[in-house]
Amino acid sequence: MRLHRVWIALAHEDIGDQHRRTTLGPLWLLVNYLLFIGTFIFVFKTKDTDSAGYTAYASIGLVVWFYLMEMISLSVPLFSREGSFIQGTRLPLFVYVMRLTVQCIIRAAYSVAGCIVILLLSGLGISMEWLLSIPGLLLIVLATPAIVTVFAFLGAFFPDAQFIVGNIMRVGTFLTPVFWAYHGQGGIQNYAYHWNPFTYFLEVVRAPIASGEFPMHPFIVTAYISLAFWAIALLLLGRYRKRVVFLI
Amino acid sequence: MISVKLDNVGLAYRLYEKLTLTAPDRRLGGLGGKIGRSGGKQVVQALEDVSFELKAGDRLGLVGPNGAGKTTLLKVLYGIYQPSAGTVAIEGKVDALFNINIGFRPEATGRRNIVLRGLISGWTEAEIQEKMPEIIAFSELGDFIDVPFKTYSQGMAARLAFSAATALDPEILLMDEWIGAGDATFQEKAKRRMDELAEKAGIIVLASHNESLLESVCTKRMTLKNGRVESLTTKPAKRVGARAKS
Ligand SMILES: Nc1ncnc2c1ncn2[C@@H]1O[C@H](COP(=O)(O)OP(=O)(O)O)[C@@H](O)[C@H]1O
Ligand SMILES: [Mg+2]
Repeated sequence: MRLHRVWIALAHEDIGDQHRRTTLGPLWLLVNYLLFIGTFIFVFKTKDTDSAGYTAYASIGLVVWFYLMEMISLSVPLFSREGSFIQGTRLPLFVYVMRLTVQCIIRAAYSVAGCIVILLLSGLGISMEWLLSIPGLLLIVLATPAIVTVFAFLGAFFPDAQFIVGNIMRVGTFLTPVFWAYHGQGGIQNYAYHWNPFTYFLEVVRAPIASGEFPMHPFIVTAYISLAFWAIALLLLGRYRKRVVFLI
Repeated sequence: MISVKLDNVGLAYRLYEKLTLTAPDRRLGGLGGKIGRSGGKQVVQALEDVSFELKAGDRLGLVGPNGAGKTTLLKVLYGIYQPSAGTVAIEGKVDALFNINIGFRPEATGRRNIVLRGLISGWTEAEIQEKMPEIIAFSELGDFIDVPFKTYSQGMAARLAFSAATALDPEILLMDEWIGAGDATFQEKAKRRMDELAEKAGIIVLASHNESLLESVCTKRMTLKNGRVESLTTKPAKRVGARAKS
């Protein structure tokens, strides 16, 4: 089947729709990102945070966090949003998953562009170590369809999940080390750093640029989390694919 | 060989399958299918013991009150619903029109929507481009083809949907009760196209409350009631012949 054409065309339309309805179109995503990061860098300025290192730390953290947050929040209502397609066509569910994946990646490209500009302006200085972020980025992209699938099934079988996940993600913005750094603090911050799966997704991309080394441990943890999501996603698609149409 | 064969097909919608934190609302109206219980769960038996066979050239009209199971049966034939009992055997390329708006994007133009609809139905880019002029001509939308779909009236949307769905000569065409949306001239055209399709030895299954449409298009008529087949009749051959003259 030529299914990849379907999801690419649909994702293309999704982005195009945003262009057609507003003047700036997806550039709003960039504006949104710059506003957010600008607020943190300039408004919440303290002695600790007034450095190129912190700017890089927060701006990369925010790119990855925005991506994860948007992907997960859009995944939960995915099947009900695609209800008319699911009930009227025979497209496999995976098409909708890929459509959202492509859409999230395209949207993320705008904040990545903003982030690169900030990095260049921050005076951090470009280095070859930045390339070490690429394996981490690829890993996150590869994990995306699996994460989308799992949360989409969760949303279909358990409609309350939308509110639960929404709340968790909002709180997560502060519980995840997006803006704060972990320097061996104890208590809540210790748990919020080590027992938070998002930490590892952020670190695989951020550590090479912020501290110049390849984050082996976070990479392995992220890889295991991704494999687990793929295993669950394939299981769900295999066993419950045909039931979804009855649930939306 | 194009054919459709159903054996004792049953389909039960399970109610309240979703998990929720609030107590489910157990009030239900009495229309349509039978509400029963199976293993402690409430179910609507939308289809029960449905068996029939269609051969090339057959045009089946599905009739029955609201909630009789017509839409459900069409969706089983299309493969959207897996039946909970019985077997479905279908030979041939199936296309379906359930809802005019399915697969159409309001912001995109009619032309772009034809492409999307084609991709969704599994056509290649080349097939779509080849059929494009014909689809546009048949729909008679003229310059509106390059205007966003959201500005179309229901009738115009129906024209586009029907033109696109029938352009690639589906071997089996399933249609739910919506075709009444087009105006009289378009309905005439649609009837003619369905005749052509059937003459090419295709199969049409059409659910409708429109007696004159059923009369002129269909060669067989199946009445559903509460998910069961109440009657299945074949029209005498002369009726089919009469259609050719009109
Ligand atoms: N998604 C659904 N969930 C639960 N029950 C449904 C669903 N869709 C249809 N039904 C029930 O199945 C029966 C048949 O519906 P349907 O096939 O739509 O009838 P028709 O198209 O003949 O009006 C009805 O009783 C209806 O309430
Ligand atoms: Mg119906």
